[in-house]
Amino acid sequence: MSEVDMAVIKPEMMKSYIWLQTADGSIQQVEQEVAMFCPMICHEVIQKGMGSSKNYAISLPQRVNPAMLSLILDYCRFHQVPGRSNKERKSFDEKFIRMDTKRLCELTSAADSLQLKPLVDLTSRALARIIEGKSPEEIREIFHLPDDLTEEEKLEPLKNTTDDPRIRLLNRLYAKKRKELKERQKLKNIEVEEERVDDRSVDDLLSFINGDNGDSKGIKNSKSKKKNRRRKDQQKNTSANEAIKNHNKEPNGLNQVCRSAEVGQKVRAGVGATSNLHDVGDDIFDNKNELDDVDIDDEIDPALKEKIDREVEDFARRLNSDWPERMQEILSFGHERKPVHFSLNGNGSLRRYANSEQR
Amino acid sequence: MEITRILPDECQSLIISLTSPADACRSAIVSHAFRAVAYTDAVWEKFLPSDYRSILSGSSSSSLLSLGKKDVYFHLCFHPILIQNGTMSFQLKKESGKKCYMLGARALSIIWGDTPSYWTWKSLPESRFSEFAELKLVWWLEVKGMIDIRILSSNTNYAAYLVFKLRNRRTIGFRHRAVGLHINVGGITSREVRRVSLDPSQNEIQHVRQREDGWMEVEMGEFFNECGDDGTVQLSLREVDTSYFKQGLNIEGIELRPKDTDS
Repeated sequence: MSEVDMAVIKPEMMKSYIWLQTADGSIQQVEQEVAMFCPMICHEVIQKGMGSSKNYAISLPQRVNPAMLSLILDYCRFHQVPGRSNKERKSFDEKFIRMDTKRLCELTSAADSLQLKPLVDLTSRALARIIEGKSPEEIREIFHLPDDLTEEEKLEPLKNTTDDPRIRLLNRLYAKKRKELKERQKLKNIEVEEERVDDRSVDDLLSFINGDNGDSKGIKNSKSKKKNRRRKDQQKNTSANEAIKNHNKEPNGLNQVCRSAEVGQKVRAGVGATSNLHDVGDDIFDNKNELDDVDIDDEIDPALKEKIDREVEDFARRLNSDWPERMQEILSFGHERKPVHFSLNGNGSLRRYANSEQR
Repeated sequence: MEITRILPDECQSLIISLTSPADACRSAIVSHAFRAVAYTDAVWEKFLPSDYRSILSGSSSSSLLSLGKKDVYFHLCFHPILIQNGTMSFQLKKESGKKCYMLGARALSIIWGDTPSYWTWKSLPESRFSEFAELKLVWWLEVKGMIDIRILSSNTNYAAYLVFKLRNRRTIGFRHRAVGLHINVGGITSREVRRVSLDPSQNEIQHVRQREDGWMEVEMGEFFNECGDDGTVQLSLREVDTSYFKQGLNIEGIELRPKDTDS
């Protein structure tokens, strides 16, 4: 329409146009209501008074080339009409985004620069659907991305996800076990100190042992015998070793005591026993009077230690369940070699005993 | 054309945030530039539940809030955090970011639970809570739990699981015997009670499964949560035939987590 023609038409019928200029220099005019659907254009018109004529055309961002502008205007033209139903709009949108991936990306970028959020959401969702479920290689192909990560970097996201709850549980149990062992180690160390000053006679010690046949202290003796052989080379406690060697030369009586008091008792039961054994007498026999686990603390690897602990627990449980029978055995001393379980922290076993009575 | 050159970062983040956590992880091994986008907070904040901030601040792990959003997400997927004064735990399902809750034994209502001769409370590292319930002996076994539907993720199919253990040597009353499991959503009691044995024999259908944390679980029921209607989910375990007594059950809690509809 020429300007003269436009002047003849009644003002009410006159449409307002907004002048837009794309980065390539070309200028076009667009119906006002369509163009104003874009916030960026709206801003330029209202705040800066631009776009009213060819000379004052609004310069669009570089990302908006003529092709993209055309698409965007189509979108705006449709959606700015107030009377449309949601169904209509959805249907339009679905058809609208049917284009190749490259154009979708460019369109997203252009819409974003014009701050046209509904269109950005629409195209982004379409691109998200393209990415969903694809392998990294496929994504690379579609979007022409370089394969520029190192092998190590590729493994990185997986590292976050190998935190196995079982491993954590195991670590916690193990940490608890280690704490127990450390405490026992402390007690042991105290005893090691005391051993050095012990100079009781052999006889004293012998009578001490014999007098304590029936309780846990006797237990230690058998263990010490084994350990002594092992510890012969270790110079940890020379005085203790000497005393022990002396004992080894003792007549059978002592040895018998040792053997008969042999205990399969291990970790848990030992704790209480250990704490009672600050008597110097016992120290002589057993500079490491706890249990195998602690002795070879440093040499055993964690998995094996865990295995040992479990065997121990199983064993302890089995013994606990046979408590009445074992009790008999212990009291009638002189039976040999049957493993005897003393649970000095006898909560579990005693309680069970009581329960079974109540039944 | 490289997408990373055409599109500004915010657009790329938006696109990835509209996919899924798994897709975001896959995107992270595509290329350097794409990885940078895939790891942004903008992406992972979308995958976290909308109320994650308030959940974290009310928990014992509020320091997590200082981490990057991706790290918060993965931490919550693999480390249940304690909420509600340590009586409940919260975590996310890693594929979808949906919320999982476990009501600890202390959050449940255990009939006779406060009578020491019937139930005791133990503290052991194998429990994620400070205490779990150990059954000594009862004739009337009844455990109930309740959870507000609004805290669950919407548009999700949830299932409830009883998390427990049977102390082998001490178990009486569960072998070859069933207990009643029931869930009731929003006051609509249209469901039947499931009768399941917690200690089934080899040839019975195995409803009881081993969990990753060392406990066992059995499904109590499932329901679809649309959009957080008001109301509560009532959960119960019940075996009140008093002709025989029950012994040897440890209860860690009841877990609610999303369940795939086809599994």
